[in-house]
Amino acid sequence: MTPMLEIRDLHVSVENREILKGFSLTVGHGEVHAIMGPNGSGKSTLAYVLAGREGYEVTSGRVEFLGQDLLAMEPEERAAAGLFLAMQYPVEIPGVANMYFIRQALNAIRKARGESEIAPSEFMRKLRSAAKLVGIRDELLKRDVNAGFSGGEKKRNEILQLAMLEPKFAILDETDSGLDIDALRTVAEGVNALRSPERSFLVITHYQRLLNYVAPDVVHVMVDGRIQRSGGKELALELEEKGYEAFGEAA
Amino acid sequence: MTSLAVARRRAEPVPELGSLFERVRQRLPGREVETLARIRETAFARFLELGIPTQKAEEWKFSPVLRVINRPMALARRPDLPLAELSRWFAGGTSARRLVFANGHPLPELSHLGGLPEGVRITSLSRAIAEMPGRVAEVLAGLDDGRSFTFLNTALTECGALIEVADGVEVEAPLQLLFLSAGEASATMTHPRLYLRLGEKASLHLLEVHAAAVPGPVLTNLVFQIDLGAGARLVREKLQLGDEATSFLGRTVMRLETGARLLDNVATLGGGFVRNESELVLDGPGIEALLNGVYMPRGHEHVDTLIRVHHRAPRCHSNQFYKGVIEDKAHAAFAGKIIVHRDAQKTDAYQANNNLLVSDEAEVDTKPELEIYADDVRCSHGATVGDIDAQALFYLRSRGLPKEAAESLLVYAYAGEVLERFRDPVLVGLARQAVLERVPGGEMLEAEGLV
Ligand SMILES: Nc1ncnc2c1ncn2[C@@H]1O[C@H](COP(=O)(O)OP(=O)(O)O)[C@@H](O)[C@H]1O
Ligand SMILES: [Mg+2]
Repeated sequence: MTPMLEIRDLHVSVENREILKGFSLTVGHGEVHAIMGPNGSGKSTLAYVLAGREGYEVTSGRVEFLGQDLLAMEPEERAAAGLFLAMQYPVEIPGVANMYFIRQALNAIRKARGESEIAPSEFMRKLRSAAKLVGIRDELLKRDVNAGFSGGEKKRNEILQLAMLEPKFAILDETDSGLDIDALRTVAEGVNALRSPERSFLVITHYQRLLNYVAPDVVHVMVDGRIQRSGGKELALELEEKGYEAFGEAA
Repeated sequence: MTSLAVARRRAEPVPELGSLFERVRQRLPGREVETLARIRETAFARFLELGIPTQKAEEWKFSPVLRVINRPMALARRPDLPLAELSRWFAGGTSARRLVFANGHPLPELSHLGGLPEGVRITSLSRAIAEMPGRVAEVLAGLDDGRSFTFLNTALTECGALIEVADGVEVEAPLQLLFLSAGEASATMTHPRLYLRLGEKASLHLLEVHAAAVPGPVLTNLVFQIDLGAGARLVREKLQLGDEATSFLGRTVMRLETGARLLDNVATLGGGFVRNESELVLDGPGIEALLNGVYMPRGHEHVDTLIRVHHRAPRCHSNQFYKGVIEDKAHAAFAGKIIVHRDAQKTDAYQANNNLLVSDEAEVDTKPELEIYADDVRCSHGATVGDIDAQALFYLRSRGLPKEAAESLLVYAYAGEVLERFRDPVLVGLARQAVLERVPGGEMLEAEGLV
């Protein structure tokens, strides 16, 4: 069976500076992989490159998403193919109501897949239950996308979109940063509820904390643009104890 | 300054315009009232003396007004309009009261002023001239702002209204002033004159809609004098839906007294040449004035906004938020100035003008200015000219929206965001529809749920 995602020896530069220096990773169906690493190690760069943001130069390497050449696709094509990125810094879009935005996104993806638009009543039902799952107030659905949302509300809103768009592969870029323990638990419960044999996750985090709630199948330690070590859950604990320095030296 | 320099800043009216007053004076309302006749005559003489500002004049640097006004034009006649179709520009909901003008002439068939509370007096200019010429003379002569187009208006005005709300009267029902233009084969012009006085603690929600009912070259030169008494509250919402052939020169001169509150919203969504001038004098302490505006010129349209806010008294708060989307070969200009006089301590004033250029050939000139003579004030301003926000675009695309649709949505949102501060839902609906029509690729956006 083709894996969900296969990254082979990826080199990426930003403004002529190499950030990803031979990054390789294979994620199977239904797996949850965690990537941990110090600030500046290239975690967000990886996430953005996978989602198709401009400004990153892939100098070599390949990424296959369900057997397709991911890097050749436009961001919206990646979304339609089932890729989702919960961003570290969600963007505010004044003038666009959150609810409208989510419906447009859902319908755009359905359309790209040759499906019909979602019926308004079904959309509302789905939205209500997703909002409940991630603990988003109704009022935030009517407000402009992320505008005036607190840090925690923005993160919940990302998971709300994840629940609505039902991707095959979700990248969570530091969704846990800046969340208090209650919010963290809600977000983690949301993620856990969405886990399934058909859906894989790449959970990028700076702390071991989130992994107490979202149990990963594999933990990778990323330092200086590549994976330095991979292991089970216990690796996260080891990391917490020894710090990243120990792993950096291994490079 | 040499007279040559002055001459370059002013152009002489073409003969047809220069002689217009002589040709029409015998049919202007109030011709038999001597004081009025004299005021008009003097005003036209001032107009001739001042001439028409060229682009050498500082305040007209970005706007070639000569091209729209300095040509032979007759005063517009009352057109025959299909009345049933005009209700599409009605705003304010079922309780609204309404005055409708076609090429400046009142359309009593569509106007509705019944059942207004005691203390509200709305008189059309022609009736006011017949019934209280002294008051009209006071109003007309009461505005000597040294502007040629104000004098031209005073000399030639045939229509308009005097609106007076007595102390303490809060008018619940919105009042709509609907100005419809109807073009003829040759260019025409109209000079509506409006006067509004809100007494102490009085309040009013005023809706001003300008629309081209029949496309064609009509120039509207509107002068609006507004007096807000102490503690009065005015919400004024202006929607401009002209077409490429219409021109609009609008000047609002507003005086606010102690503790008055103003919300002034403007959406300019059509018009070949539009100049919106607002001059606000904050004449007592504790006044609040919030001015929001959005403009979206396309094709060869030109929209110019000029705002002057005079802080003359302490502890007043004024905010200006103007946003524009400029498309095709259109041109927008914004010049706003906050003037804080010496006694206006504790002034809090802000001005922002943000512009989105969506075509390589679109142009914008923005010039925010502060002139401060007091020392204990908080004043700032900012202006931006930019492109579609790349981060927002990526965010939308990463959620599956195709690039073109995402761009359209962001352009729509950029302009539409201003409308969130508007009050009348019907007017907002009209404005949103006009915005959507103007957004490149707007037809791709699903209108339903788009706030
Ligand atoms: N758009 C960018 N422009 C310039 N430098 C960037 C950009 N994005 C990332 N970088 C640099 O790349 C490195 C990795 O950043 P990032 O991927 O955000 O790391 P992490 O998410 O692991 O903290 C950092 O040194 C950062 O400064
Ligand atoms: Mg990061």
